[in-house]
Amino acid sequence: MDLLWQGLVNGILLGGLYALMALGLALVWGVLNIVNLSHGAFIMLGGYACYYLFSGLGIDPFVAMPISMAALFAFGYLLQRHLINLVIRAPMFNTLLLTFGLDVVLTYSAQIAFSADFRTINPSYAGAHFTWLGATVPLVRLIAFAIAIALTLLLWLFLGRTKLGRAIRATAQNLVAARLYGVEPRSIYALTFAIGAALAGGAGALYGVVSQLNPYIGVSLTAKSFVIAIIGGLESPLGVIAGGMILGLVESMTSLYIGPTYTDVASFGILVLVLIVRPTGLFGRTT
Amino acid sequence: MEPILSVRRLTKRFAGLTALSDVSFELGRGEILGLIGPNGAGKTTLVNLVSGAFRASEGELVFEGAPIGALPPHRRAKLGIGRTFQIMRPFPGLTVLDNVAVGALFGTGGGHRQLAIARELAQQKLEFVGLAHRADRPAEALGGPDRKRLELAKALAMNPRLLLLDEVMAGLNLAELEAVIAIIRKVRDEGVSVLVIEHVMKAIRSLSDRLLVLHHGEKIAEGEPQRVLSDPTVVEAYLGRRRGADEEHPR
Amino acid sequence: MKRPLARAGIVAAIVVLAGIPWLASPSIVQFGINMLLLAALAQGWNIIGGYTGYASFGNSVFYGLGSYGTAIAMLRWHLPFGVGLALGAVIAIAFAALFGRAVLRLRGHYFAICTLGLAQVMTAIVSNLEITGRNTGLVLPLLRGDVLFYELSLSLVVVATLIVAWIARSRFGYGLIAIRENEEAAAAMGVDTTRYKVLAFSLSAAISALAGGIHAYWITFIDPVSAFDIGLNVKMIIVTVFGGPGSVLGPVLGAFVLSAISEVLSTEISTVAGLFFGAVIVVAVVFMPRGVADLIRRFDKYRWRYFAENVRANRL
Repeated sequence: MDLLWQGLVNGILLGGLYALMALGLALVWGVLNIVNLSHGAFIMLGGYACYYLFSGLGIDPFVAMPISMAALFAFGYLLQRHLINLVIRAPMFNTLLLTFGLDVVLTYSAQIAFSADFRTINPSYAGAHFTWLGATVPLVRLIAFAIAIALTLLLWLFLGRTKLGRAIRATAQNLVAARLYGVEPRSIYALTFAIGAALAGGAGALYGVVSQLNPYIGVSLTAKSFVIAIIGGLESPLGVIAGGMILGLVESMTSLYIGPTYTDVASFGILVLVLIVRPTGLFGRTT
Repeated sequence: MEPILSVRRLTKRFAGLTALSDVSFELGRGEILGLIGPNGAGKTTLVNLVSGAFRASEGELVFEGAPIGALPPHRRAKLGIGRTFQIMRPFPGLTVLDNVAVGALFGTGGGHRQLAIARELAQQKLEFVGLAHRADRPAEALGGPDRKRLELAKALAMNPRLLLLDEVMAGLNLAELEAVIAIIRKVRDEGVSVLVIEHVMKAIRSLSDRLLVLHHGEKIAEGEPQRVLSDPTVVEAYLGRRRGADEEHPR
Repeated sequence: MKRPLARAGIVAAIVVLAGIPWLASPSIVQFGINMLLLAALAQGWNIIGGYTGYASFGNSVFYGLGSYGTAIAMLRWHLPFGVGLALGAVIAIAFAALFGRAVLRLRGHYFAICTLGLAQVMTAIVSNLEITGRNTGLVLPLLRGDVLFYELSLSLVVVATLIVAWIARSRFGYGLIAIRENEEAAAAMGVDTTRYKVLAFSLSAAISALAGGIHAYWITFIDPVSAFDIGLNVKMIIVTVFGGPGSVLGPVLGAFVLSAISEVLSTEISTVAGLFFGAVIVVAVVFMPRGVADLIRRFDKYRWRYFAENVRANRL
């Protein structure tokens, strides 16, 4: 029973982080119809940014996180505005290919710049943990969870309640109509992409604290983000939270009861099943 | 003589919206039936149901004596139902000729097996609609009126027995309109039955043997063009849109 | 290939290629085998991705099934290589036919992602099964002499290309192209889209599986990660898109050119080579999205404006 409870706790804590990881991908995909295969590389870069701020300047990782996010925001804005924009009216496949090429460039650049060594962000309180109803809860995982959920809810509020957020959603619906409202699509596109990159950067910072960084984590993080985005649907950040939780729990339970080598079978198996049975995700619209 | 198409109590519901409600009619062999009604009346939905793009929520469709409601679109095409699309859909990567050849390769009865024959047939259809001079251009290079002719040629290449035309006349000038009307008449003279959706009133009035009027998904009138167009219910259905609603100027 | 001169040229090229093992060093022969297998894989992908328009990440699954089918047939059941190859192909085709109907219902990137997911699942499953040797993999019997494998690979490329050439001017091919360009219109015109897609997928699977089987016997060792390597799928896509998807010779050209460049570069640092590759892809997608084949075809007419035109047409 204790094992089950620990598994549940692990799964939920992981789920929160997963949700934040996938959020940027889902946003850019749902709003701009851009499938960003370099999304995982953004996460990786955010992690490294935070790592160097921490190990180089001694800034606490949770404080460095907003700085990482800001850096990725700028990076994402410029990238979209001046590169990805160039293929946006071509068939979707071209964007896939472009972001794929980008992923390769970013990964190998990171390898050259940072070397392939595994790195962890280890603040002094990294080992701290407490017990809750019999389950061990590492402090950093709890903080990461809290920040991840908070950011996701912030995005949800931003998209739903602010003028800019609604402008973004309007542009997603109808490019022409958005123009009529005085919204400049190129800026909105770049802005949305930048937000997605910033979210990825934030997830990367958290990831660096709870797990290990190296230049090659991008691909599998992108893959995981896909699974989450598809399960949760592209409609709303709340769906992404659900998707993240589901994946986190599935991985945790599979690892516990079947074996750690089967987690990939479970997570990608769910992806395949969801796509075949309900391509719009568990929470998307049916039409 | 048995009608080529019998539609009985056809109904289509989308989530929360009833697009078509309890529509019944028959299309006789070699007849041109005009389908009219204000925007959103359900005309394209009806065509989609007949061609198989949508499945009906209720009702029956009988084509040449056999029920087709459960058949997917390609099977209906093989039986002889051809259609054009309102939002024109050429195959962009192919030439005009090859676009039409697809219709000849896969149409009624499974089409033709041999590419060479299909391309010859396609050439003939292009001449029929007056597009032969553009046969080797990429399809996406065509302008609006030419695209409509291409749509028509593609559907004709299938050698259909029932032709469903969805607004092939919008945006045409007077000369182009007369050309299209002549083509449709020629098609009918070769034994094809035609169901035409149109907004251009003058054209559809002179072209159709009978008219069918839809409004809010329901059939509100059916019969001879003259009689239908002076039917007060029909006039009222259009009245909400503009004054003098039985004359629409070609755009 | 209408022009007899071009046709003669191609035959000559094949003859030259076939003769290489007797003229060149062993390392070149090895490079040749890898390049030829990549070209074959690219052609296989071309059928489902280039002509039908369904960007599959599942071809690495078929490659893996071919590898493992051949390996298991030879190791566990002591069957000859030819039979093993055939078995691998049959397994792959069965897989494609079985899963194809469900998976091919998905459009665009959903299809791509689903096949990606399938690839991951297969890797993970195979890592856990006894018959496939779990994580440690399988070791095949050794056959000395690269020449056989070279000529086999060349034959596969030729056969695959002939198949694609046939597709390009057949009723089947027109149906596939129609599906790619506008699936709904294709169905309305009488194309049995499901059947055609599954057929294309199965054909693609067979070619990939044969390549996998040849490769497995050649290097005598396979394990789940390398057999179902998604990187290989990515390579075949890049090479095809670079060379010209939906064309007959594009994938082969792409495979040859990019393999050569990669070989030259990897004598340098492999990271820089990787970086270069990524940059090439980015530049190619922006300036020549329809591949080398299209560039060759249109350059005469447009010259340098070709590149600017592509950008202007596709940007916001």
